[in-house]
Amino acid sequence: MNGLRIEQIEKKYMTAETGQKESFALEPIDLAIHEGEFVSLLGPSGCGKTTLLKLTAGLLQPDAGKIRFGNIDITLIPPESRRFSMVFQEPLLFPHMTIGDNVSFGLKMQKVAKKERQFEATRMLEMVGLAGYEGRFPEELSGGQQQRAALARALVAKPRVLLMDEPFSALDPGLREDMRELLSGIQRELEVTVLFVTHDREEAFEISDRIGIMSDGRLLQVGTPTELYEQPASTKVASFLGLKNIIKGNIRAGHFASEDSGIEFHTGKPIIDGKHFLILRPEVLRPITSSSKPQNDSVHLKGKVSKLKFKQGSYIAQILAGNQQLECTLSREEAEELEPAQAIELYVNQTDLQFVEH
Amino acid sequence: MWQKSKPYLLLLPATGAIVLLFFGGLFDGMLKSLGYFPAIGERQLHLTAYTELLSSDSFWESLSLTLRVAAISSLLAGILGGMLAIALFMMNQSTKAKESRLWQRLFQLPLTIPHLVAGYVIVLLFMQSGLFSKLLATVGIIDQITDFPVLVNDPFGWGIILAYTWKEVPFVLLMVYPVLARIRDSWRDVSRVYGAGNLSFIREIALPIMMPSWIIAVFIVFVFTFSAFEIPFLLGVTYPSMLPVYSFQLYTSGTLADRPEALAVNIILALMTIVLGLIAYYFSKRWNVTKGWQ
Repeated sequence: MNGLRIEQIEKKYMTAETGQKESFALEPIDLAIHEGEFVSLLGPSGCGKTTLLKLTAGLLQPDAGKIRFGNIDITLIPPESRRFSMVFQEPLLFPHMTIGDNVSFGLKMQKVAKKERQFEATRMLEMVGLAGYEGRFPEELSGGQQQRAALARALVAKPRVLLMDEPFSALDPGLREDMRELLSGIQRELEVTVLFVTHDREEAFEISDRIGIMSDGRLLQVGTPTELYEQPASTKVASFLGLKNIIKGNIRAGHFASEDSGIEFHTGKPIIDGKHFLILRPEVLRPITSSSKPQNDSVHLKGKVSKLKFKQGSYIAQILAGNQQLECTLSREEAEELEPAQAIELYVNQTDLQFVEH
Repeated sequence: MWQKSKPYLLLLPATGAIVLLFFGGLFDGMLKSLGYFPAIGERQLHLTAYTELLSSDSFWESLSLTLRVAAISSLLAGILGGMLAIALFMMNQSTKAKESRLWQRLFQLPLTIPHLVAGYVIVLLFMQSGLFSKLLATVGIIDQITDFPVLVNDPFGWGIILAYTWKEVPFVLLMVYPVLARIRDSWRDVSRVYGAGNLSFIREIALPIMMPSWIIAVFIVFVFTFSAFEIPFLLGVTYPSMLPVYSFQLYTSGTLADRPEALAVNIILALMTIVLGLIAYYFSKRWNVTKGWQ
């Protein structure tokens, strides 16, 4: 298997003034990326995503750990010999070269004959929607076109792994969406292995096979978008994924009680006693109406509607249950039956209850 | 009206002085080179000075020496200055940014030294009785100081070439390094990821980017060495002498009759500088060297 394996990689940065105090540390990280897989590293700014990407590219040397491609240890191999490609936050095209020369740069470094280079560059530019731009200079292209050219430059060299460092973050939202679709299509077509860094949840969920959530130099959880969303391993992961209803409480003898005792129910499944967080995704909280059919073992919650907000095709209701403010997603029909300050009863199916240890 | 013309009026004294001294001098020199010399009763315009000059062997030998010295010194200064700029740039790109700044200051030192002093430094170091010959004789590499090659006041002009190379390398560095400093650190990362080692990076990125300013720097050095006086006067031989010295020799030969020829040499030097400038401009436009790197 020609996958990429990151094994116990560590990197520490010291403060510039003294050189002794640790300013940032990437904790030992393990990550395996299969051949042709699209993996994203998702996390807030400064969490170590780019450092991990640069370590993978060879632009930084780790303090400990190994990086393997297939069975080969490439930790000490310089970036110029790894045959990886990288797309950066900015296009970083060379201004003195035409788009054609920029795109074929990697092939030139691989000593590919000029005719073949030109042919491949033209083909790749067509693929990214820039046919006929070979003779132009970067300054003659818009930001989005430049980033497309940078993508073509990365793909034309037939990289073993394509590394992408927030490549669409500088583009406007519409263009960003187009680029995601373009990248997704090309990645599937060329079956290239991608390690993608982003702080945009929507972006990561839309294009990735798997996502690694990072925070403070640690890789918190790796999984498919559905796994991460439905079974976050910690409250940190859950809150980074935008999950709102995280309720602190205790489980004793199969009974959950929130700290303010406003929410109490039988868990219905064996869970070790102790302090836990209950995570309720907004869409699993359903209002009990004449047409709703809760399962027999579903958990019922009582509350009061505090606010109703319209949000792109659906409604978000804020409900006060005990002292907990819960958020739930409603359809238009469901929302039309409600108004602020109205009492509401909600239910959650047992299978949708997610507990995370304190 | 006053508001509009005020800046021009304020500039008038400085502009007037420049126009009077530069163009006035040039115009007076041109008139005298064409034989208009009221001091000796000559008031007619003719090309005698130019025809005599162009038919004399001394002029052609001087021109050949001037071209050779200017070409070799500007090329050497260009190559060394370019190499130093790239070395400093690569040093700056690595972890040795502090050392790079120190070396840069050191290399700029010769800029502060006047050309005449530079000439004397070359005399003291490279004459047969200079420091280097004595050192080589002391350590036994040469038997006696007369075995040391004649590098000062030599007919080929090595002394002049050495002085100009030493003096102009920092100038080329000063012209080229700021352009290289504009290269973004991330371009180095990009090029490395796509397979470029240090040499490929220099060949593909650094050299093409510095080339336009390098060409301009070398051209300035060439034009300067082509028409400069003090170093060729100090380090050259009496015959053949470089054109500016030749002009001075003619001008101070003791007879007023030689002065039109002396001034004709200067006019020819000025014309050649203009022609060289136009050639450099034509090629820089033709190669489109600054395209994409504004």
